[in-house]
Amino acid sequence: MITLYDFELSADCYTVRLMMAALGVSFRRIELDVYPGREHESPGFLKINPSGQLPLIDDDGIMRCGAQAILEHLTGRHDPSGRWQPRDDPEMPARIARWLEVAGRLSATAGSARLHDTMFYAAEIDACRAGAHALFRALDEHLWFAEQSGHDWLCSAGHPTIADIACFPHVMLSEEGGVSRLPYPAIRRWTDRVKRIPHFASMPGIFNASPSRSAPT
Amino acid sequence: MSAIGLTAAGETSAAIDRWFPVARGEEVVPRHIVQAQLLGREIALWRDDNGLVNAWENRCPHRGVRLSIGLNTGTELHCRYHGWRYASGSGQCTYIPAHPGQKPAATMRVGRFGSAEAHGFVWVNLSDPAEPPMLSTPAGEQLTTLRSIYTRAPASTVAACLLRGYRFALDPTVAADSPMDAALVAGDPYTVRARVHAGQRESTVTFLLQPVSASDTVIHGLLTMHDVTADRLAVLRHHNAQMSALRDTAESA
Repeated sequence: MITLYDFELSADCYTVRLMMAALGVSFRRIELDVYPGREHESPGFLKINPSGQLPLIDDDGIMRCGAQAILEHLTGRHDPSGRWQPRDDPEMPARIARWLEVAGRLSATAGSARLHDTMFYAAEIDACRAGAHALFRALDEHLWFAEQSGHDWLCSAGHPTIADIACFPHVMLSEEGGVSRLPYPAIRRWTDRVKRIPHFASMPGIFNASPSRSAPT
Repeated sequence: MSAIGLTAAGETSAAIDRWFPVARGEEVVPRHIVQAQLLGREIALWRDDNGLVNAWENRCPHRGVRLSIGLNTGTELHCRYHGWRYASGSGQCTYIPAHPGQKPAATMRVGRFGSAEAHGFVWVNLSDPAEPPMLSTPAGEQLTTLRSIYTRAPASTVAACLLRGYRFALDPTVAADSPMDAALVAGDPYTVRARVHAGQRESTVTFLLQPVSASDTVIHGLLTMHDVTADRLAVLRHHNAQMSALRDTAESA
């Protein structure tokens, strides 16, 4: 059984919960009081993870921290379908890597703006929001042309990959950091599609979508 | 040339009883709620399972929460906050979860705007118009809606930038078709037509400006082509690049 060291309001921790839900991996949570308690900086947690970083998983003694590393770990060990990180298409690893890098920049911009507004973290708030809008503009354009080519997902596969899982949380929580998605209609359609991934997990601030038209009611 | 609703006599007075495109029709997908804005008014735009498009004030009459974060069930829109349900078409409240046995009062109704689908777009008129939107387009030609470009600049600035120049190629995949300066005609403050031609081959973009607010504008584009066999996606990418450059110019103006 995987143990997730978790903070419910963290976008990066949610990324991991969302991935495990979609994979059908069962896990137990150890909730840390990150805000306002700063428990991730406590001597007790630093003994477990000297970097103090969340999310952290303990998978049968293998410790992994950081959302992207954990996504790689989970698909490597717990995805018999091989769909979440396809390795048969030689183009796919580079495509996915590009969006994982974007996810990191979304965290540094939209994610930082949200931490600034909701948990009083220090941040260059105007620069964070401007950076988020620049990324959203590129993301919206990418998704619009993907749709025109008949693709629903970031990496053109006929199904979502870890790229979608990695980018979704910071996009979906952006309005808590003052970054409106009104100018990005293709992003808004994609977030509805992500919400309809089977076994989708929500979190505070992220709601489920209505069932799609074809879904059984 | 083009007439959309009333002819604009003065930008502010005529702007209210007037049709504006607010989304490409195919982007108002089933079981989705588009968050749009026109002249500072937020709009929740949604298509029911019969294909009817609703353009509603983006505000639940109960507690004012944005309806665009709610649920489109195909026949009704459910508010996310207290679950009040509103019927497609009438906007009438049909059900209040906190009072399951009571029929909601006829006054519990969402604010609605005039909406219509034409020329590949969903059009909205903030007043309660009698006339549908009209746009004269050359008949018998291939029509494509381009990717709409959100621009953080007023409509008047965007129109001025457009009239200063727009270049595009008839067929961007053919080297011989290098981009040309388009002949530009202003229809009214929100409409600019750009045309390039080479012999019988010609291509026209009708730019339709959606004033989101006093500071922001969406540039919509309707493309008509005659005798041009360019790959559709290549043409869309080409105009997207040209219109994005125009946006950058307008935003730094």
